[in-house]
Amino acid sequence: MADIVDIAVNADGFKTLVTAVQAANLVETLKSPGPFTVFAPNDAAFAKLPPGTIHTLVQNIPQLTRILTFHVVPGKWMKADLERVSSLTSIEGSPISINLSDGFEVKNATVLTADIEADNGVIHVLDRVILMG
Amino acid sequence: MTITTPAPITLPPSTHEFADIVHRLEAGGSMLPDTPENLMQIIGIYKAYAVPMDFYWRDLLYIAERVFLNPLPAFKYFLPKEYLDLHNHYAGDDADLRIWRGEATAHPELLEFMEKGEIRQKLPKLFHHLWHDRINMEFAEECMRAMMWHRGMGGQFDPYLDSDEYKANADRAIRAYFQGNPVMLGLYKLFPEMFLEQVRQMSYYANLGLFWEIMAPVFFEMSDLYDEGKMTTVPEAMNFLVNGIFAIAGRPIYHHVYIRGECYEIIPKSKGFMWLYEAALPYVEAVFYRTSPFRGTKSYNAQVRQVPDNQAEFHYGILYADVFPVGSAGIPPTLLMQDMLHFLPPYLVEYYKQHCRGEDDMLVQLGISFQRSMYNVTSAVIQALRTALLYPLDDPNPKHLMANRQFFESQLDRFKRPEARLRDIQRQNYR
Repeated sequence: MADIVDIAVNADGFKTLVTAVQAANLVETLKSPGPFTVFAPNDAAFAKLPPGTIHTLVQNIPQLTRILTFHVVPGKWMKADLERVSSLTSIEGSPISINLSDGFEVKNATVLTADIEADNGVIHVLDRVILMG
Repeated sequence: MTITTPAPITLPPSTHEFADIVHRLEAGGSMLPDTPENLMQIIGIYKAYAVPMDFYWRDLLYIAERVFLNPLPAFKYFLPKEYLDLHNHYAGDDADLRIWRGEATAHPELLEFMEKGEIRQKLPKLFHHLWHDRINMEFAEECMRAMMWHRGMGGQFDPYLDSDEYKANADRAIRAYFQGNPVMLGLYKLFPEMFLEQVRQMSYYANLGLFWEIMAPVFFEMSDLYDEGKMTTVPEAMNFLVNGIFAIAGRPIYHHVYIRGECYEIIPKSKGFMWLYEAALPYVEAVFYRTSPFRGTKSYNAQVRQVPDNQAEFHYGILYADVFPVGSAGIPPTLLMQDMLHFLPPYLVEYYKQHCRGEDDMLVQLGISFQRSMYNVTSAVIQALRTALLYPLDDPNPKHLMANRQFFESQLDRFKRPEARLRDIQRQNYR
């Protein structure tokens, strides 16, 4: 099995995420044994952000890192595991609300594909970039 | 061929006291009604605000970075050329992200006013200063103090000020700043917390300076777009702000101090503090909503709870201000109004001359235009938070639309209290 980064690099639709992870020097971390749960916004999700948002973040790596690490949770949380919780704490430190009562929602994003297993964790694909608050 | 499009999902009407405004927000509008008169007032005021703001942000950074702990900062409002020429990161050819098409250095109208003042005569700087014919930095400092006094309004900046890491960074800067000054170093040894608190205040100077560095070009650009006929409605003005909020959300908030040519990073950029979370949202909460009662303008009876015992319930900000009685000399809102009076676009001067007492009560009239304009900025913040944390306005899922509605209603709950001016700004004859 491949690790989280390899899966994202080889899959279609994660170009922006992969570029951002590389810019933020998070490749090594996400290749480490972890395990991690990554809520991965696809390219369409990043495109929904108003113009300029990504531009400023890419210029400011610590701030970009903070947004990206908000999408990562320690541990391997499969969809079935998440049914038992209403919130997880991200690596960034802020909580991420989880709602499986009607579909699979992570904060205000909907999970498009769940449970993509990797060597060092699991990926759930989001239709929206989630933000702290 | 007939194409049938599904009917948009509609919720039952809101039963909130401000149901009309809830529905307007749900339709992508602002708390401020969309009329040409409102648009003209708010854009004119944004421009008049942006010019003194161009001084505020530069001087706030100058004080935070250079004046720092000077025990007698008599010349802290005497901005050196270096800071007047400092390039705004969001204007000019070398901008990180060009928001205003104008120049990156201090605005020409500001420079002209600094030279000649209200009396339109070139006199020594000290004379203009003592005559109080200058930009009222006291207003900017009052906003900074409101942020510092309320503290704990979200974000990581404020908790960081109590961390050991921050204290160690501050300690290094304090020792370097007073190097060779045994009196001040002795006082520091005796009262370390007092010095630390002063550094925290300096960090808030930097925070507000970095926040306003962005707002000035945003307002200048809005004014230019309006003058060019490219901004024609209140929702367009609000959406420009919403897009601006997102575009620069990730701008770093930090505090650097320069002592004898060396940079001391009291709050390094690497902490990842962001404009949106660590500056903009605490600013709106502290300055638009809370602030504090203005001394000497009104008597408050604390025993009958005219002043809340919980700081979070303070409601003395511009969204609640009764502009007429607070219009006394020397208090912060009047200082800002005085500053804006110097830079009003001609169309707004003409407009005020036609209403109320014309030029005699222009400060009050522009104060109320300012209130309208800040309701529009607050609407932009509410719509930006809805975009960031909730759902699109045309989301097909009724549960999502209901979540949006609950969010809008909870925001409007803050304007139910009698002091709030939301009801007043719905009328055009509130001036």
